[in-house]
Amino acid sequence: MPALAPGRWVAVALFGIVALVPAGVRDAYLLDSVILILLWGALSAAWNVAGGYAGQVSLGHAAFFGIGAYSAALMTARFQQSPWLGLMLGVALSIVAGGVIGYLSNRLRGPYFALSTIAFSQVLLIVASRWRGFTAGSEGIPVPFRPGFWTLGLGHVAWVYLALGVAVLYYGVAIWLETSRVGYQLAGVREDEDAAEALGIASRRLKVYAVTLSAAMTSVVGTFWAQYVGFVDPFYVFSIDLSVRFALNTIIGGIGTGLGPFLGSLLITSLETYLRATFSGMKTGFAGIYLVIYGTALILVVRFVPEGLTGLAARLRVRSSRAHA
Amino acid sequence: MLTLERVTKRFGGLTAVRDVSLEVREGDLLGIIGPNGAGKTTLFNVISGYYRPDAGRVLLAGRDVGGEPPHVICRLGLTRTFQIVKPFGNLSVLDNVMIGALTHLPRVAAARDEARRVIDTCGLGPYAAARARALPVGLRKRLEVARALATRPRLLLLDEVMAGLNPTELGGIVALIRRLHAEGLTLIVIEHIMAAMMRLARRIVVLHHGETIAEGRPDEITRDPRVIDAYLGEEFVLAEA
Amino acid sequence: MDPARRLGPAQIDVVAQLGVSTVLLGGIYALVSVGLTLIFGIMRVVNFAHGEFLMLGMYVAFWAYTLLALDPYVVLFVSIPLFFGIGVLTYVLVMRGVIHASHNVQIFTTVGLSTALQNAALVAWTGDYRTVRPWHSAVVIRALGMAFNLSQVVAFAIAVALTLVLFAFMKWTHTGRVMRATAQDHDAATLMGIDTDKVYRLTFAIGIACVGAAGVLVSPLYAAYPTAGLQFVLLAYVVVVLGGLGDMLGAMLGSLIVAAVEVVGSYFFGVAWKEVFYFVLFIAVLVLRPAGLFGQRGAETLGV
Repeated sequence: MPALAPGRWVAVALFGIVALVPAGVRDAYLLDSVILILLWGALSAAWNVAGGYAGQVSLGHAAFFGIGAYSAALMTARFQQSPWLGLMLGVALSIVAGGVIGYLSNRLRGPYFALSTIAFSQVLLIVASRWRGFTAGSEGIPVPFRPGFWTLGLGHVAWVYLALGVAVLYYGVAIWLETSRVGYQLAGVREDEDAAEALGIASRRLKVYAVTLSAAMTSVVGTFWAQYVGFVDPFYVFSIDLSVRFALNTIIGGIGTGLGPFLGSLLITSLETYLRATFSGMKTGFAGIYLVIYGTALILVVRFVPEGLTGLAARLRVRSSRAHA
Repeated sequence: MLTLERVTKRFGGLTAVRDVSLEVREGDLLGIIGPNGAGKTTLFNVISGYYRPDAGRVLLAGRDVGGEPPHVICRLGLTRTFQIVKPFGNLSVLDNVMIGALTHLPRVAAARDEARRVIDTCGLGPYAAARARALPVGLRKRLEVARALATRPRLLLLDEVMAGLNPTELGGIVALIRRLHAEGLTLIVIEHIMAAMMRLARRIVVLHHGETIAEGRPDEITRDPRVIDAYLGEEFVLAEA
Repeated sequence: MDPARRLGPAQIDVVAQLGVSTVLLGGIYALVSVGLTLIFGIMRVVNFAHGEFLMLGMYVAFWAYTLLALDPYVVLFVSIPLFFGIGVLTYVLVMRGVIHASHNVQIFTTVGLSTALQNAALVAWTGDYRTVRPWHSAVVIRALGMAFNLSQVVAFAIAVALTLVLFAFMKWTHTGRVMRATAQDHDAATLMGIDTDKVYRLTFAIGIACVGAAGVLVSPLYAAYPTAGLQFVLLAYVVVVLGGLGDMLGAMLGSLIVAAVEVVGSYFFGVAWKEVFYFVLFIAVLVLRPAGLFGQRGAETLGV
């Protein structure tokens, strides 16, 4: 991917503003929105490593999210250990699971791969929701709140900075994938595996690495999310909707770009928060209207603006600079 | 440098390549011709690691590489272009070539410089920033060559890089191949069009139904009755000279 | 265990009951899956929104029953043309523009459609479980020591009949042959003057009509809710992959296999775990025999 220099400035500005938010804002509701935007952005950025940079479109990334969420929740609720240990366990398990999915990506292409990832996340969903003795089954697990950094019992401001840290780190991974040797080679694999092989690139191994990295990154945010929200529900954390949402944020923002997942998250999470607030008093289910908008937006974006918001911005910039010339 | 010993490749009941033996020495410019479906591309796919031979050996600098994946073979100094070009469509011409250069130059900046140099050699300089998918077919064929060259191969396999080109483009690519050969690169060139090959290769192998039916100098080949038989009904190809 | 006891009448009854349950369930699964495999076989698109049309079919039956007191079997006659029309509309508005696009674009288009339809149902009809309880769902048929719900038997019979009609249509009519020709080679079909756009429109409409009919047929058996399509479509993916994507006969055999796995698995391990079996089967087949149990080539890695 050619580097979008202006995009970097937008990213610096966005993350900079977020860093300043807690200084001026004490409203828990607004801080909550900021945290969710960052976490969703980081999740989408994690998905983007596989779906965007490696071109392996997964509809089962919720599996890794759930692994991270459950590892930490069980570690804290059942074993009274630090969620950070759960985070590490989640990463380890996701590396294994990601390796399996990565292996599948070498055997299966396009819709077959997407179907296999859905099946994978569904198996985990069934296990998590039916293995009552260990996971508490479909009731889910409340995550105990114990104040302190080691226990991830943090206030809103601390959460903003933690989420920001993850977001910036993941943005950095994206930049690395756009500028490093491995990143260029991965782009080659995404564009044409056979041609990449002819140029000396071990394409299969590289794809497995990318999917595994993406899985581990997703798991980390899964852990933070569970600790932040305080509850793990198997039907949510392993849902196909969640997997779709990672992809959706990324595609609307700009697939295969560093900033795209964060822009998509900003737009969609804000829209969701606004609509939920506006329609929450109305008859049940009406808050779901934002999902109707998403779905429709997804159809329209892949058809008419496949490069997403970042691509649209680049297009407009070219047009305006031509107009000025 | 490259030796094929009775290489055979079958697909189900169909034998695409049967008992083909070849010897390519350092500095050779070998041509492989044959009618459509003769097994030329299949042979390339076997040599470059895309297919595992069902029988026989592929020796690259004495090492049996049959069944090794393409990226390993590339790193041993053999790479190829594709008949149906496979550009990294969404990347720029420069990035395409740079990905080739990164194979032996781990630093991105160094690889970019090398890519610029190779692009200039191949006459793609003015298109460095263009998206690969936006190039016309003649330039895409050049891009295939440039990208392969960037990996610094010692042996380069060109799969129909001349097909579908207009006379000007054809002249350009023939000149490029000659220059690369003069600079010491060993080449195997597949071509369906005999005429272009006659001007280029010193030694030609003719494949028909997966088997070698003739081998020799261009003038010998054109007189060989088996070759004429094989191309029967395809005279227009010979006549395109 | 002594052999005489193993072969006692009670055991034979269990086997018979499991066998008949498998066939009944398999027939319904076949109708759900056949549209999916038809659309894939001819258009090379995996319709990730397939389950949502099933869900819509269930709602159509529910509202017809609740508001107009119409029996689902009566509704069926209306729903087939209705869903055929919905299929045409969906093709024209959504699918036509991406029919030649990349896999990823197609995946996200149908995923987007799925999300939109699911949530449109949620907004319009809330997340409540809606059940249809016509008289036949309370009738129990007892035969040979087995018990079956009449709705289940009728659903099976109609599903099999519809699937066979579709089969015959594809095999023996001119249009069916044209559709199969397009599936084999899109470019050649175009060259021979086949209007492929029309073929795709018809294919999509037939596929949606099948799944819509399936939705109506299962309405007396399963509750309708916005994500009701999901459980069916997931097993339809399994069915279709087992049978080989695009292979209609394979889809029927796949339906029976999935139904058998479900019925036998539930019997031995409890209903809670039944999906695990077919998902594991699914992943195993994808890895080991990606072209399906009866398929021949590696379609999954080639041009698909």
